[in-house]
Amino acid sequence: MSRSWGTSALLWQLCLIGMLLAAWQVSATLWPAPYLPKLQTVLASFLNFFHGNLLFSAVLPSLYRFAIGFGVAVLLGSFIGLTLGYLRGLNEWVRPILEYLRFLPTVAILPAALLLFGATDGMRIFVIAFGSIFPVILAAMDGARRVDQVLIDVARVNGLTIPQRIFRVILPAVLPAIFAGIRIALSIALVMMVISELIAANDGLGHFILRSQRLFQTANVYAGVLLLGAIGFVLTACMLAIEGRFLAWYKGWRGAADAI
Amino acid sequence: MRSDRAFRSSSEGVAVPSILAVESISKNYGSAPVLDGLKFEQRPGEFLSIVGPSGCGKSTLLRCIASLMQPNSGSVRHKGNTFAEPPSWLSIVFQDYSRALFPWLTVRQNVAFGLHHIGSRERDERVQAAVQAVNLTHAIDLYPWQLSGGMQQRCSLARSIVVRPELLLLDEPFASVDAQTRIDLQDLVIDLSRRMNLSTLLVTHDVEEAVYMSDRIVVLSTRPARVVEEITVDLPYPRDQLATKETPDFLRLRHQVYTLIRAQAKSNNN
Repeated sequence: MSRSWGTSALLWQLCLIGMLLAAWQVSATLWPAPYLPKLQTVLASFLNFFHGNLLFSAVLPSLYRFAIGFGVAVLLGSFIGLTLGYLRGLNEWVRPILEYLRFLPTVAILPAALLLFGATDGMRIFVIAFGSIFPVILAAMDGARRVDQVLIDVARVNGLTIPQRIFRVILPAVLPAIFAGIRIALSIALVMMVISELIAANDGLGHFILRSQRLFQTANVYAGVLLLGAIGFVLTACMLAIEGRFLAWYKGWRGAADAI
Repeated sequence: MRSDRAFRSSSEGVAVPSILAVESISKNYGSAPVLDGLKFEQRPGEFLSIVGPSGCGKSTLLRCIASLMQPNSGSVRHKGNTFAEPPSWLSIVFQDYSRALFPWLTVRQNVAFGLHHIGSRERDERVQAAVQAVNLTHAIDLYPWQLSGGMQQRCSLARSIVVRPELLLLDEPFASVDAQTRIDLQDLVIDLSRRMNLSTLLVTHDVEEAVYMSDRIVVLSTRPARVVEEITVDLPYPRDQLATKETPDFLRLRHQVYTLIRAQAKSNNN
């Protein structure tokens, strides 16, 4: 039953995508216009990303900055969040600052970051990390505060030192919360990656899309947007795979708790 | 090694060294007193139960004994010596099994949790033996949330005995399982504690359970908890859920303890 539904759902999904593409192609053929290139033109531009010049001037610089910025956000954010959550006394001091910074539209710090760092990789990495670190910090903080006292008692009775308690009890217990934060951070980091490449840049995907738009290379603009979507899709799929690997217990545990 | 030394240093001057001496401990939460000068001793190998009205501070007492919490005054001694951190000769089975087991570890890994300082080969053997002792071998690679409540509590029990403690603390361990499972667990704990020559301290509000399982019962008052009476249970071993509970001695002890508890509850209401 569920299997036949799964198959037919997939069919419907493919069908819908096919219809949208067909509508595009028909429109592009019937009403040719500079802003509506045919699919094969967009596809040709899209494939250009995977070899030669464009790979090194657009795709790789973006991914490199994304990887560092997002990596910093995940590691530093987890560390800060765990520390603040574990040392509850600090919470009252730090919370107002965090609440202020998290609602700061990250785009607004772009000019300031440009002043501070210049038009460098460092500036773009900073913007990506700054934009995506707060969901991780807040998730890790709340997770660390919700670790069951009984589990910590068990660790104490079994003679675990504080570092052992952190790595064997707190970290595994907080991991599901951290992953929830990382999922939100991922989409923000992608946005910040593109935005950081829209000013004072000479490489990266954002820069490529903006330049193509100024040169009326419409097929390139659409190809760039499609590639960004694809990157987001693949990264999310990777995240889910990692979660499925490391947090399989969490789904089972939650499932068991819901069943009661 | 450490406990041997402790034993020697304290044995002078003390006739029968107690495994645990609770010496006039008091504990307040803010200005509200919870424990009021509690005082009792436990002899080595003894099965001692603490019973008292619900909410009288039994769990607080247990946390003070385990050094998870420090009393405001008084002290807890093991063979004459005080201690400041949860010591290695003691282990606890907590009341709420669903919160006390690590959901990301299997039964095997949960039971091995306290054996981090031991080589992997000996650790495996000890885990196998402990899991077998609580009849969980068939579930050793399952996660706690895949088990029934009784099986989860047996897993907790295995984790506590695998470290070979001298003193096993049980904090209302059978409070949240069904009646049949409770009976099975009671017999399992009696059996284990006699076979391993454990000193066992059971905190419970179930009078019948206390009489059935113990060598001695300490009855507490309502909050702030004081010791109302100590009652020796001289029922013979092996104990049997039917035969033991039908003896006149059992009924007399149950009556006696229950009367004390009820008097406490009444005095509280007035």
